Amino acid sequence: MAEVEETLKRIEAHKGVIGTIVVNAEGIPIRTNLDNSTAVQYAGLLRHLTMLARSTVRDIDPQNDLIVLRIRTKKYEIMVAPENGFLLIVIQNPCE
Amino acid sequence: MFTDEALDSVSVRSLWRKSQQSEQESRDCQTRAVHSAEAGIQTVFTTLSCTQTEPQDQATEQLLKQNHNEPEPLGLKDFLQRVEEAVIRELVRNARSHAFDGFQVNWGDRSQLVSCLHCLQHPISQERGLHVTSVSWSCTGSVIACAYGRIDDGNWSTERSYVCMWNLDRRGLSPSQADLVIDVPTAVTALCCHPSQPALIAGGLYSGEVVVWDTSRTQDPVLALTGMSADSHREPVYQVAWLPLQKKGEFGVLSASSGGRVLVWMVDSDQGRFILNAAYALVQQQVSHSSSVSLKARGSSTVGITSLALSPWDSDTFLVGSEGGLLLRCSFSSKVPAAAPSEGQSVTLRAPAVFSFRPHSGPIHSIHCSPFHRNLFVSAGTDGLAHLHSLLQANPLLSLRVSDSYVFQVQWSPTRPLVFAAATGQGEVQIFDLGHRSLRPAATIEQRGAGQAASCLSFNCQNPHLLAVGNTDGTVGVWQLSADLTEQSPRESSQLEQIAHQVAE
Repeated sequence: MAEVEETLKRIEAHKGVIGTIVVNAEGIPIRTNLDNSTAVQYAGLLRHLTMLARSTVRDIDPQNDLIVLRIRTKKYEIMVAPENGFLLIVIQNPCE
Repeated sequence: MFTDEALDSVSVRSLWRKSQQSEQESRDCQTRAVHSAEAGIQTVFTTLSCTQTEPQDQATEQLLKQNHNEPEPLGLKDFLQRVEEAVIRELVRNARSHAFDGFQVNWGDRSQLVSCLHCLQHPISQERGLHVTSVSWSCTGSVIACAYGRIDDGNWSTERSYVCMWNLDRRGLSPSQADLVIDVPTAVTALCCHPSQPALIAGGLYSGEVVVWDTSRTQDPVLALTGMSADSHREPVYQVAWLPLQKKGEFGVLSASSGGRVLVWMVDSDQGRFILNAAYALVQQQVSHSSSVSLKARGSSTVGITSLALSPWDSDTFLVGSEGGLLLRCSFSSKVPAAAPSEGQSVTLRAPAVFSFRPHSGPIHSIHCSPFHRNLFVSAGTDGLAHLHSLLQANPLLSLRVSDSYVFQVQWSPTRPLVFAAATGQGEVQIFDLGHRSLRPAATIEQRGAGQAASCLSFNCQNPHLLAVGNTDGTVGVWQLSADLTEQSPRESSQLEQIAHQVAE
């Protein structure tokens, strides 16, 4: 239990990280440091996008697989790491 | 010799037939007889019940709360351990990367010019030489309301004036004919559209009255009027604003006049009147002087209010600018009673002033709080300068020279944190970008016709590239701003933070 929290704290302590969300296989955020409604919105939207990205990668080359999906927007960058049904979403503001 | 011979026939037995003949056997069977029986039943009791699923988000909200107490789901720890390294590697690489420095994405057509879309006029007001005193966009962003009156009149006047509304999204828009004209018995000095109901407009009159018009009514648009009661103002009302009250969704009207009073009204639409909710009076003696400039108390000890701004970040704070150049931060929850003589009001007067900034050298015509930073606001008055203040310091952070004559209104842009526009007495609207190093304006809107001043301006929050400017010759210009004045660039918020944290010298 404490290891999970420690790992999340290490990720959150990185430079520029605004928020992290861990989503389970059903699409429900189970650990987050943002408010509930934002987390649920991110989880729902990014889940579909990640599935689509993963199937695209595997269609092109069945032996390849998706590691991290990064969406860079004007204001910040969203990083999604999918594995075995879980999703880790990290929102970072790369301030130079 | 030859005799008949009879021979036996020769026959060959068919072997094929024998081999093809297979063994044959025959059997038959029959199933046993099937038993069948018949019986009848009838229901004696009936019950009915139905179920319905709960809306999805409630379930997820509950699940989120539960999981903090329960042991973590299976596999979460392993998942995080596996994924952590990859994610941290990407995060570090991202923080150091310069790949996207200065890269701007271009999703739509960008216009490069500032151009005038419409020039709206009301011929009757123009004939009588009325000035536009206030413009306000409705909450939908398509209707603009303009109030007519005079800005240079010091005497008591009883001339009638108008409030005109144009719907810019309508196809048959005629710039010289307003969609709706409301007759008002005296000059209108302040106007504000309701933040969520597009039909309500609050106005302040030269006689001190506060009015709410309901434009959805065809007969008589006046919804509520303060009238000349003991509660109302005695001097012209220079600012009205819709104030969110405690109950969510309800708004009261805040009015400030040059008699030194700030009053908060509740609208009673059934009876068509206002009920005074709270009253504040600003008196010279009670204004805390944190600067070393000492102000001698003159004959009248009231502080005439010429501008007021509500803070969108803190519902308790409001800023007040006065005729004498005083700039004050006030609080709604102040309990100190005012030292002004009470004239039979229904609510006791309170003194709201909490902090006093460095005074301007002339009346302050306009204050506006930044929608992007909780501590910044800009103020402008007759000294031709726009001062950028922080709520935490008495001295301004920056003073920009806007024009050589008066500045009538300043407003922050609703989309770009570093941009604000100022309407000057020379007829120009100067738009400043604090991100530029130089102190010169980023854009200047010049209006045709010399000798007229731009008396008010308003950004359209729904369509951020529109800016309405009202002039003293009775026209209202609707300008379209160029894309670089309306689109936010990536580092503006952090630049604004830096400016806010400067310490004024």
